[in-house]
Amino acid sequence: MYSGGVSIYKNIITLLIQFSLINVFFFIGLALQDVTNLPIPGSIIGLIVLFIALQTGIVKLHWIEKAGKWLLAELLLFFIPAAVGIIQYPDLAGWSGFQLLLIIFISTTLVMWVTGIVADQLAKRRKEETD
Amino acid sequence: MIYLVITILTYIISKKLYQKWEHPLLTPLFVSPTLLIMMLLVMDIPFEQYEQGTNVISYFLGPATVAFAIPIYKHYALIKKFLLEIITSITAGSTFAVLSSFFLGYLIHLSGTFMTSILPRSITTPIAIEVSETIGGVPALTAAFVVCTGIVGSIVGPYVIRFSSIQSSIARGLSFGMAAHGAGTSKAFEFGDQEGTFSSLAMIIAAGITLLWGNTWIPSFQHLFM
Repeated sequence: MYSGGVSIYKNIITLLIQFSLINVFFFIGLALQDVTNLPIPGSIIGLIVLFIALQTGIVKLHWIEKAGKWLLAELLLFFIPAAVGIIQYPDLAGWSGFQLLLIIFISTTLVMWVTGIVADQLAKRRKEETD
Repeated sequence: MIYLVITILTYIISKKLYQKWEHPLLTPLFVSPTLLIMMLLVMDIPFEQYEQGTNVISYFLGPATVAFAIPIYKHYALIKKFLLEIITSITAGSTFAVLSSFFLGYLIHLSGTFMTSILPRSITTPIAIEVSETIGGVPALTAAFVVCTGIVGSIVGPYVIRFSSIQSSIARGLSFGMAAHGAGTSKAFEFGDQEGTFSSLAMIIAAGITLLWGNTWIPSFQHLFM
């Protein structure tokens, strides 16, 4: 019972430390964006910097893996406030909403098909070359 | 604070619902906002108030985007090996996603705000919002279109696979991630581990390429046609 409590604390502290480290990279990304004025969001610059840090071994995977896994597993939660924002567009409940849904339906089906066909052709060619 | 707690509780409940029945329409990304919108409407709460109370949650999108470095790092060998397939098909898919949304919107005389906001709909929400802002769209609308895309993609995806000649698991994974980002990726994992991995790679690369498009040809394209 007691040791269970300790390991929960340990887990929470590990998560918090790892989360802080990921945030450091987020802030580095924001700062770099601010300084360079690149047309890339700070979060993406942070992603690139973290990737380089992992590749070069400056940051070890196990330093951030738990918090990273948690962030990606609960990703949907972080979108919810943005999604609730459609309340500002009551038009979407009517005819125009239906039309937009139709566009999304047709376009998504086509995008999936095009992407799959292109990738499949290339994959087949590679297979023939190696056979 | 109260909105924060309610949002998290709604999310946890809808996640449990989805785990129990696994129907695509039960995705927390559809159920939670619907419940919360009904709550705001019934209790007559202005959105600004809700937004202020939940901006801590939205903040997490930043570090979550940074965390995508982890799967890229882990699958780097796989990316390098299949770089040609990935880059070619995702470049085609990203271009097609923007152009087909535009031309279909053009056919029904979609208004400017809706049109601009629908263009980046095929990529993961945090980046779609960034692209939307860059090209003059409305982030909340783009978020809604992205969510719809994810739901639609994970419903029609298995049928597209069944009725097309897409056979390799690489191509199947890439098409799920390209067409339906995160929701598609979780569907792709139901087909297999390789499908899921390539789907998450496609989702990340598609975000990068669309971001590039948003800063290069999309603005000139808008200038010409909109």
